[in-house]
Amino acid sequence: MTRSYLRVLVFLASLIVAGFVHGANEHHHHQMPGMSMDATGMVMGNNKDKLPDDCEEITGEYEINVIAGTSFAEPYASTMFGFNEHEWQVKPCSRITVNFKNEDDVRHQWMLHGLPKYLYDRGMFHMEASGGHSQTGVFIVPSDDKTYLVHCDIAQHMEKGMKAQLVVGRGGDDLWSIPGVSADFERPGGILSTRPNFAVLLAGFIFIIVFIIGLKFFRL
Amino acid sequence: MNRVYRGFILFFLLLVFAALTPWQWYPREWRVWYADNFGASGFQQQAATIPATPGDNAEEACPPDIRGWRKPQTIAGIEVAASPNCLADNPHAVAAFVKGTNNVGHMTLMDARLSPDAVVKGRDLDGDGDPDEIHIRLEVFELNGGSPDLDVPVTQFSIAPGITPGLWVFAPKSAGMSTENFESLIAQPGLRLPSPAIRVEQGDKVIVTLENTHYMPHTIHFHGVDHPFQTAAGEGNDGVPVASEKPVMPGKQRSYEMQPRQAGTMFYHCHVEVQAHVLMGLNGMFIIEENRPNNWVQTFNIGDGFVRHSSVAVQEKYDREYDLHYLDLDKELGEKVQQSNDPRIVTQLINREYDISQADFEYYTLNGRSFPYTARDSLIVVAPDEKIKLRVVNGGSEGVAIHTHGHKVTLTHYDGVEHPEPARITRDVVWIASAQRVDLELSTEDDGLHSYGEGVWLMHDHQERGVTTNGFGPGGNVSAIVYERYLQDDGWPMTFGMGWKNFLTPGFYQRQEDGSGATPLLPGVEASGPSTFRLVMLAAIAGLFAGLLASWAMRGRQRD
Repeated sequence: MTRSYLRVLVFLASLIVAGFVHGANEHHHHQMPGMSMDATGMVMGNNKDKLPDDCEEITGEYEINVIAGTSFAEPYASTMFGFNEHEWQVKPCSRITVNFKNEDDVRHQWMLHGLPKYLYDRGMFHMEASGGHSQTGVFIVPSDDKTYLVHCDIAQHMEKGMKAQLVVGRGGDDLWSIPGVSADFERPGGILSTRPNFAVLLAGFIFIIVFIIGLKFFRL
Repeated sequence: MNRVYRGFILFFLLLVFAALTPWQWYPREWRVWYADNFGASGFQQQAATIPATPGDNAEEACPPDIRGWRKPQTIAGIEVAASPNCLADNPHAVAAFVKGTNNVGHMTLMDARLSPDAVVKGRDLDGDGDPDEIHIRLEVFELNGGSPDLDVPVTQFSIAPGITPGLWVFAPKSAGMSTENFESLIAQPGLRLPSPAIRVEQGDKVIVTLENTHYMPHTIHFHGVDHPFQTAAGEGNDGVPVASEKPVMPGKQRSYEMQPRQAGTMFYHCHVEVQAHVLMGLNGMFIIEENRPNNWVQTFNIGDGFVRHSSVAVQEKYDREYDLHYLDLDKELGEKVQQSNDPRIVTQLINREYDISQADFEYYTLNGRSFPYTARDSLIVVAPDEKIKLRVVNGGSEGVAIHTHGHKVTLTHYDGVEHPEPARITRDVVWIASAQRVDLELSTEDDGLHSYGEGVWLMHDHQERGVTTNGFGPGGNVSAIVYERYLQDDGWPMTFGMGWKNFLTPGFYQRQEDGSGATPLLPGVEASGPSTFRLVMLAAIAGLFAGLLASWAMRGRQRD
């Protein structure tokens, strides 16, 4: 339990630091290879044949059919948006074709993060489909066992259920709050949630320690 | 250890303890006594340029314009005027709004972060050189919303340093992420309060499609805009759930149709549970420009403020044009979307439990921000002998009494209807009730009536709570009419009073300083609460004392 708290804290800290660093020098994006865009949506990071450096050959071929919409939120209480599946499993160095269909009348995205940045702009494979439209894209994953975050980045869509994971090989640990896969992240409550409380606790602890030392020191 | 030595240690510890005890824990009388004897007895003026709090975490007043958005430019053949304020609207988006997102290139759309069908401009029906078929697509975004994974708001938009109330806004249909980038939690510049001003031309055949990307039902009501009660297909067109149609559910869309015959400054807002939804930010200005040949209007003005591509009719009479959106926010209402991640609970909190009759309003915004952020993008920059058009809407629940320092403005239109010229009123406090619009003519002719000359002249709500943020000032909707001569190169105003840097810290709005320009030398006001180190040291010494006491108490007893 402590370990996961710590991991989450480290993750949050790195997120904040990265946010600052990135916000300071946001670079311009120009049209890059593997990108297409029109009124039906867009695909970014499309990659049919460029192998990651650590892969000798493509070891698996997968085709996944993803459907996005509010109707897929129904099985999961407290969500409003969802995908037909929230977890996919593939082998390392696989090529994955994603057929992404949007059943709603509004935009949705299937955005995967954490791919190697030398191959994918900002480490991202990103599909966006306008309401009622479909997109198809291909990408190749590297050889390491890893669990990738997949989500829709329209404000509150991930928070309200459009969050999934792609498990490559044995994967890493499950991500938080994925419908049907993992529980909501438990925010550290009570004494650890706010600094003043933590400080008071620490102060109390020190008090007791020094009380004992004082007792020994002055008791002649 | 001899007695003197122990006594010395004890006395030293006592001194350290007294010094470590946070000032504010001492009784006020003691602090006054201390100030009288060891400090000045009155006030000390704050330096004009040096921040009052040493080692503060003040933000940069004016973030550098690294993308060159402020300068005048021509994009996709559309002239985009220079933007004098320090934060300028995205010129690529401005060009796309003028020309239509269907008529600009891929790169412009990417830079504008807009969907190709956000603003579709079609045929020229009357043959006067501009498109008359306009199809607008609006989405709904939650800013500063909750998250199951983070303890901070997501898709952040700060209205003032450190102030992030939960908000809902309409926005043109965008493309890609809602945040600046994946690592950032801050909303991309196109997503912000207020819901943007929308412009069409008189006689345009307009379709507005609401794509409800939010997790709660919404509609749009076009207040004051000439529109039929039902669409051609016989569906509800007034946006009112109790009278014309059912709300648009999450993930669904609906189109509203209109062909406005009259020009004027109008209004649009969500009509679902209006007592909460409108005040969450779902309201904006809807402007119908007079019909003119070759009149390509800027369909959206993101964040309102300066209009970078004014219509032909406005350019005939005016040198510059500004859209001003006043809105007051209830802190408690905004917090509700942050209290739970469960849409059922948020719906319960907002639609059922929120009681506006018991509410008070803490945040007063102009164009979605409060002072000092208003100085970044809502200064009214002018030059002498100009005529400036100000379109003003009050989207909030309370009236505003807008006072212009150094100027008297003339009211030309009420609720979009022109007032006959001989009957026009020129005054320096303009009262605008909720949902009302006025068009103001600001003249910078230095005649002692319209203008008293060049300077940095404040402009604000003269109901004093309007110049506060959470009851603390200066904050609220304070902005200024700034003459170019008084504007620095980066767009920040040249002021001669106290330094504004003091206000650019989250701590200021937590009441760690005041805005009087003077610091009372009463010890006890610190940059933040007592530090962890201080508390821990204090506890350590207290522990020593307690140990000492205990050892005295036990002195009589035999040691074993």
